[in-house]
Amino acid sequence: MKKLLSWKKARLAVQLLCLFLFLWLFLQTEYRGSDTLAYPVGLLFRIDPLAALASALAPGAFAWRALWPALVVVALTVLLGRFFCGWICPLGTTLDGVGALVGRGRSVRRSSWRRVKYVLLIALAASALLGLQLMGLFDPLSLFLRSLTLALYPAFHLVLSSVFDFFHAHRVPVLTPVLDGIYPFFRDHLLAFHPPSFSLALFTLLTFLAVVLLEKVERRFWCRNLCPLGALLGLCSRWSLLQRVPAGECTDCRVCAESCRMGAATAQGQLKGECLLCLDCAEYCPRERVSFRWGRPGERALGPDLSRRTVVTSLAAGALVAPVARMLPPMRLQNPYLLRPPGAVAEDDFLRRCIRCGECMKVCIGGALHPAFGQAGATGLWTPLLVARLGYCEYNCTLCGQVCPTGAIALLQKPEKQKTVIGLAVFDKNRCLPYARGEECLVCEEHCPTGEKAIVFDLKTVESAEGPRILKVPRVIPRLCIGCGICETRCPLDGASAIRVVNEGESRQPRDIWS
Amino acid sequence: MEAMERRDFIRRTLQAALSLTVAGAVPVLDLWPLKAAAADMPALAVRTGADIPRLVAETLAALGGMEHFVKRGETVVVKPNIGWDRTPEQGANTHPLVVKTVVEHCLEAGAKRVLLFDRSCNDPRRCYVQSGIEAAIAALGSSKVTLQHVERRDFQELDIRQGKELDRWSFYRPALEADRFINLPVAKDHGISVLTLGMKNIMGVIGGNRGQLHRNIAESLADINTVVHSDLTLIDATRILVDNGPQGGRLSDVSRRDTLIASADIVAADSFATTLFGLRPEQVPSVVAGARRGLGIMDLNKVKRV
Repeated sequence: MKKLLSWKKARLAVQLLCLFLFLWLFLQTEYRGSDTLAYPVGLLFRIDPLAALASALAPGAFAWRALWPALVVVALTVLLGRFFCGWICPLGTTLDGVGALVGRGRSVRRSSWRRVKYVLLIALAASALLGLQLMGLFDPLSLFLRSLTLALYPAFHLVLSSVFDFFHAHRVPVLTPVLDGIYPFFRDHLLAFHPPSFSLALFTLLTFLAVVLLEKVERRFWCRNLCPLGALLGLCSRWSLLQRVPAGECTDCRVCAESCRMGAATAQGQLKGECLLCLDCAEYCPRERVSFRWGRPGERALGPDLSRRTVVTSLAAGALVAPVARMLPPMRLQNPYLLRPPGAVAEDDFLRRCIRCGECMKVCIGGALHPAFGQAGATGLWTPLLVARLGYCEYNCTLCGQVCPTGAIALLQKPEKQKTVIGLAVFDKNRCLPYARGEECLVCEEHCPTGEKAIVFDLKTVESAEGPRILKVPRVIPRLCIGCGICETRCPLDGASAIRVVNEGESRQPRDIWS
Repeated sequence: MEAMERRDFIRRTLQAALSLTVAGAVPVLDLWPLKAAAADMPALAVRTGADIPRLVAETLAALGGMEHFVKRGETVVVKPNIGWDRTPEQGANTHPLVVKTVVEHCLEAGAKRVLLFDRSCNDPRRCYVQSGIEAAIAALGSSKVTLQHVERRDFQELDIRQGKELDRWSFYRPALEADRFINLPVAKDHGISVLTLGMKNIMGVIGGNRGQLHRNIAESLADINTVVHSDLTLIDATRILVDNGPQGGRLSDVSRRDTLIASADIVAADSFATTLFGLRPEQVPSVVAGARRGLGIMDLNKVKRV
């Protein structure tokens, strides 16, 4: 029976709609004239069951307020199956789109490859339970948004604004007026206010491309074989109530085996955890036999091919890695410049909550937050660092706490945030102009934002070629400094700043009863 | 006697305006050194009052009204200080009502277009909102008025022919291309330059690493003021920041003075403003440098109070 609106078209429409919704929310992840963000820009992670799992396994309360929608997704998955991957996931939609554009691989992996994602999920969960949370590295939603934030959008901005700027500077008849005419729309709605640039752009792009190009090996390679979120939703789908009829291949036809994007219809039956409910098969079936019906899973509805040994091995792997990784000497002692956004919880808890999604880096108004590579230790990859030479924490801004989906950065009210100590500014007297060269400067003092300035100056008499001279020499008052880093950003010296923020006196640092 | 002086004054300023127009017609961007602007006895208007729109009107009227500075069909840049993410009460930015009223006077004088901007120190979007200036300009609802964020691509490197400290720097082109430039600073305490007034407000028209100017702030300010000439300087001293400037943040550092200072002579205006802080003009190096470099008159005895 041919319906006017086929399920396939409906699914495609929902996929595109979700993708554009998430892209639009991404563009709104920015200061737009109000201290509080107008839209739930972090929606993508509030519906992310893997983020919820990370939050649940971290010490402290589960972030109910932010993450309850993720539990709705889990409940719906238990009921329907792995619809999220087929209908909603923006990475899945991207993979489908890229596959359609560049072609898809047809090589068929051995079915044991599918196990990898379960192994990954179980190992990640075990290690998270024991204190090492790395879900964000493999979370497809984190991967998607992080790639967008750190690599794709900055490139988009750079290319587009270069074109606009080129024809603005070099007047070309017709072209220049047209481009100048449409420029305000792009500037106000599509381009970034400050040109975005991040330290791990290329590395992030490569990881994104690797996942996308696996599409050339096998259709939805990532979703079939690697995605831990897919694995989690797959496990939830085992007993879902929406059944494919017939469950697996028919004896007289091989179309399903060749056309199913997930290879979920097999000779033995339907792999419940692999079917994305894309509903393509209801259309491509030459005999129109396939339909989806409500009911309890039958005998040909198959669960994941996981032996007890595999499960135990995965658990053991996670359980072994976690304590070893945590045994390292404290990173804050190894790297005194390890600064986190204001409101970040204590480092240990922070790493257990942060899912490396990149939302805080996208929203940071001062361009201060950058992804860590090794600065926060090997397990801190892609976590946000405050790099004060590149950007500073805006005194009146609380946006990073507003977007963090897992409570790694607590939501602070403005007065509280303005008292939160990120670190302490320290002068390098070998470089600072008044100290080192007897020249006037005081740019740091000018910019220091605390009501009672944390950088003040003393009048000192210095000898110069023209005789003694009064010089204004800056000094930090540690009691008042909150480590926002504007002094380091604005220090007018070339290269290294003559004032640097170190992680001394951080508000988040728990009191150590031993040392 | 008084009538004669005023006539004389008007004639001289008209002469100055004419010579400026001629200078402006020469197709070079680094504007003429402005000798003509420093007429012998510059007029200086100082008025006090709590009603800001009325205060602005009275101050401008003393100088012959905005028509005296802005002619019909001209494009005007009004340059307030919007440097900091602070509210109007905190006194770090020009008061929004002063800005709005000045723009209204420009429109009444027949300005074709009024452009406002500042290259701020905090995030520009936050500064524009928090200063109240974005809302004040939006309330005007005039399509002739634009409050814009400065854009990288509209800065241009120029030679500073009369530069002592700087010989080349980047400037915001729309500010140089406008027919008139109205300088609208707020009077504040400032660490390195003692005070920030009219000459310092031109920092918001330049690009580059502005912190480098602090090494010799007085001469640097004089340098950039030889390129960007203020046709009118109107200093907002409705409330002044007496400590922890230039961005303040504490209401206890704000002193209410209900005063406006205006002059076509930027040095004369700055010079008078120093007295509000209990200082003498000679104590503010940029005023001294401005006078020495021929940007205007510092000696308040040689200024005509109107």
